[in-house]
Amino acid sequence: MKGHTLWKDMKNYRVLLLMLAPAVAFFFLFAYIPMAGIIIAFKNYDYAGGVFGSAWNGLNNFRFFFESGDAWRVTRNTALYNIAFIVVNNSLQIFAAIMLFEVGGKWFRKIMQSALFLPYFISWVVVGAIAYNLLNYDIGTVNALLRGFGLQPIDIYNTPSYWPYILVIVSAWKSLGYGTVMYLAAISGIDTEMYEAAEIDGANIFQRIMKVTIPNLYPTIIILVLLAVGNIFRGDFGMFYNMIGNNGLLFSTTDVIDTFVFRSLITSNDIGMSAAAGVFQSVLGFATILTVNYAVRRYDKDRALF
Amino acid sequence: MLRKNRTIMFALVLTFVMILSACGGNTGTNTPAKATNNPEVVNDKGNDSDNANSSDTIDISKEVKLKMIFVGPKPVDYDSVFAQINTKLKEKINATVEGEFLDWSDWAQKYPLKLAANEDFDLIYSANWAGYNDQALKGGFLELTEELLTTYMPQTWAAMSDVSWDQAKVNGKLYMVPQNRGESVEKLILYREDLRTKYNLPEINSPEAYANYLKTIAQNEKGIAPFTPETGDWKYHNLDRVMLKQQKEWNMFDMDLPFAFKLADETGQVFNVYETPEFKDLLVYYKDLADNNAWSKNVLNSKNDHQADFKAGKTASITHNNGTLGSLMTLMLQENSPYEVAIADINEGKKKSIAISTQNGTSIHATSKNVERSLMFVDLMQNDKELHDLMMYGTSGVHYEAIGDDKFKALEKNQNFTGFSNWNFNSPLNRDNEAFPQEVSDLVNSWDASVYHYALETFVFDNSQVKTEIANVGNVMLRYAIPLEYGVIKDIDKGLEELNKQLDSAGLDKIQTELQAQIDAFLANKK
Repeated sequence: MKGHTLWKDMKNYRVLLLMLAPAVAFFFLFAYIPMAGIIIAFKNYDYAGGVFGSAWNGLNNFRFFFESGDAWRVTRNTALYNIAFIVVNNSLQIFAAIMLFEVGGKWFRKIMQSALFLPYFISWVVVGAIAYNLLNYDIGTVNALLRGFGLQPIDIYNTPSYWPYILVIVSAWKSLGYGTVMYLAAISGIDTEMYEAAEIDGANIFQRIMKVTIPNLYPTIIILVLLAVGNIFRGDFGMFYNMIGNNGLLFSTTDVIDTFVFRSLITSNDIGMSAAAGVFQSVLGFATILTVNYAVRRYDKDRALF
Repeated sequence: MLRKNRTIMFALVLTFVMILSACGGNTGTNTPAKATNNPEVVNDKGNDSDNANSSDTIDISKEVKLKMIFVGPKPVDYDSVFAQINTKLKEKINATVEGEFLDWSDWAQKYPLKLAANEDFDLIYSANWAGYNDQALKGGFLELTEELLTTYMPQTWAAMSDVSWDQAKVNGKLYMVPQNRGESVEKLILYREDLRTKYNLPEINSPEAYANYLKTIAQNEKGIAPFTPETGDWKYHNLDRVMLKQQKEWNMFDMDLPFAFKLADETGQVFNVYETPEFKDLLVYYKDLADNNAWSKNVLNSKNDHQADFKAGKTASITHNNGTLGSLMTLMLQENSPYEVAIADINEGKKKSIAISTQNGTSIHATSKNVERSLMFVDLMQNDKELHDLMMYGTSGVHYEAIGDDKFKALEKNQNFTGFSNWNFNSPLNRDNEAFPQEVSDLVNSWDASVYHYALETFVFDNSQVKTEIANVGNVMLRYAIPLEYGVIKDIDKGLEELNKQLDSAGLDKIQTELQAQIDAFLANKK
C-alpha cells in the first residue's frame, strides 16, 4: 500500500514538487556531484591522471597550511570577522527593517528600501576602488577633509589596527539592504491582530516592537544566523582581496584563510593544496553547524535546522 | 509523514540523476557526429591540394581545425585577420585555426584551469612567466621529440639556435617551441626629460642621480608622483631589477624566490638576497626615497596603471624593459604628448642578459589530436613571411604599412590588432616599428658587447620536491619584504631581522639545499 500513498502524494503535491525541482537540481549539480572532488585534497594532482587517476599523497597537501605558522592566525581572523559580520549585520538589518516598517508611508519605504539595496549590487572591485579614493593618504577624501580642518592626516593604509572596523562597516553597508528586505518580509508576515490587541491593551510603540515584532522575528533570525554560522570559516574573498590587496603590512589583522591560500598558491597553482585548504574549511564549518544546531535543539526543538 | 517525504525526495533525486545522465549521453554522441562530417568536406579539398608545399610525405588530406589559446584580449579585428590567415593555412596545410583569448585581468586564474580541466584545444601560448615549467611538469604540455620537430617543423628546426632549444627544456625534455628572437629583458627607467632640464639636474646615470631626480620632483612638482611601480603580485620592489640585478650583476632564478647568484660565478653558488649587505644598503636607499615621498605612501594598495599614469603626466618615472618603454614613447610621440621623455640606463657598462627563449613560446596541449598539423602551423607562423606578417601586424594597408623588409609603419587602426600574445611567433622575420625611438634601439644595440652568457642560462629548477616551502616563502616575501622595500616599515634592522626569521621558519633552507643540489648536478653534467 505504501507505493500507492507515495504515488498519491506525488500527484497531489505535483505543483509544489515541480517548484522544488529547480532547487534540488541546482544543489545536486553544484553541491553534491562536486563533492566527489574532495579526494583531490589527498592527491598529487597531475593533468594526465585527472581527479581519479592521480597518485595519492596522503596528508602532504595539508602540510603547507599548517607548517606556515599562520594557520592559527588566519583561522582565528576568519572566524572573528565572520562573527562580527553576523552580529553587526543582522542587528543593523533588523533595526532598519523595524524602522522602515514603523516609519513613513508606502513611497518613503519603497525609496529607502531601494536606496539601501543599491550597495548590494556594487562589485567588490568597485568598492575597493572607492575605498582607496576615500582613504588613501595623499589624495583621499578623508585626509583632504582632515587637512582642510587643519588636522593631521592619518595613514589608514599603513595602520593595521583600523582595518577590522573599516571592514565591518563596509560589510554592514553592503549587506544592509538585502537583509533588511528579508526581515521586512518576515515582519509583514506577522499577524496584524497581535498589533491591534497590543494597541487595545495600551502598549506604546516601543513596547509593541519589543513584545510583538522582535519575538515574532526569532525564527527568521535563528535560521539566518544558523545558515551564516555554517560559513564562519569561509572568508569573503572578494571583499578582503579587493579591500586589502597585496598590502603585507595589513595582513596581521586582515588575513583570512581564503586570501592566505590564494596568495600562497597563485604562483604554484597547485590544485591539491588549495583543495586541502577547502577541505579544512568545510570540516570546521560542518563541525560548527552541527554544534550550534545541537545547541539550538536543546533550547527549542522546533527552531533548529534539522 | 516525515518518512514519506524523504521517500519522495529520494525518488526525485533519482529522477534527476536519470535526466542528467541522459543529457550527458546526448552531448557525448553529438560531438562525434559533427566530427564525422569533416572528412567528407575535406576529401574533395584534399584531392587538389598538390600545393601542400611543406612536405609530400606528410598526409594532410584530412582537414583539421586547430584551436589555440592566447593570453590578452581578443583583438577587435580578429575576424577579418584570422579569416585571411585561415585562407592561407588551408592552402598550405589544409587546416584552419581558431583563437581563444584569456583577458589580462584574469588570465592567471584561467590559464591553469584550461590545462587542469583538460579542455579541448591544440596549441597554447606558453612562457616562463606564465608557469611554463610548472605546467610542463604537471603534464599539461606534449613532449616535443627531435623526431617530431625535424619532421613537422623543418624550417624552425633549421632556424632556431641550439641554445634556444636548450633553454626551453625542463628536466631535459622539451615542451615548447620558443620564440626565435632574442630580446632584452633588462629594465630601464623612463623619465621626464623636460622636468630634468627645468630643475637643471645632472644626467641620470647612477642610482644617486636618479634619487636626486625623484626627490627634486617630490619637492617641487605637487600632484606628480615621482615614481609609480607596476601593479601585480610582485615579490620584489619594482626597481630591484635595476638596482640589484643589473647594478650588482646578479641574477635571480625566479622572481618569486629570494635566491640569486653572481653572473660571473662559474660555480653557481646560490645565496639569500635578503642576507646580503647589498640588500641592506638598498633598503637604506629605498627608505630615504620613501621618506622623501618618491612614491605614494599607499603605493601597496594603488591599482594605478603606471604606463597610463606616465602618459597622462601623473607620474615622473616608471621602469620596464626597453621594448615596452620604447613603444610607450612611440605612442606618446604619435599623440603629440606635451611631455618630453627620455630613457635612462643607470647601469651602463654592467653585464646585461637577454631574455631566455622561454620568455614567449608555443606549447602543444598534451591531449591534442592534431599534433602534426599544430607543429606545421607554428612552423609556418615563424617562418612564412606572409603568415608571419598577418599574425604579427594584421592586414597590410589597414593595420600597418610595410616599409622595406624589416620595418613597418603603424596605421590608425593598428590598435585593432595588437595587445594579445602573438609574441611566441617572434622570429627573424619580425618588422620593427619605424617610429620606434632611435635612441632606444641604439642603447640596446650598444649592449651587444655587454650581453653576458652565463653557465646557468639553461638551468631550470624542478620545484616539485619543495612546493610547500615555496608557497610559504612566497607568502613571507609578500608580507614582510615588500613593505620593507617600499619603506613603510620604520625600523629597517628590525624589519630585516623579522623577515629572515620568518623565511627560516617557512623552510628557506630546504629550498636552497634543493636548488643548490640541482645546480651542482647541472654544472657537473655540463662539463
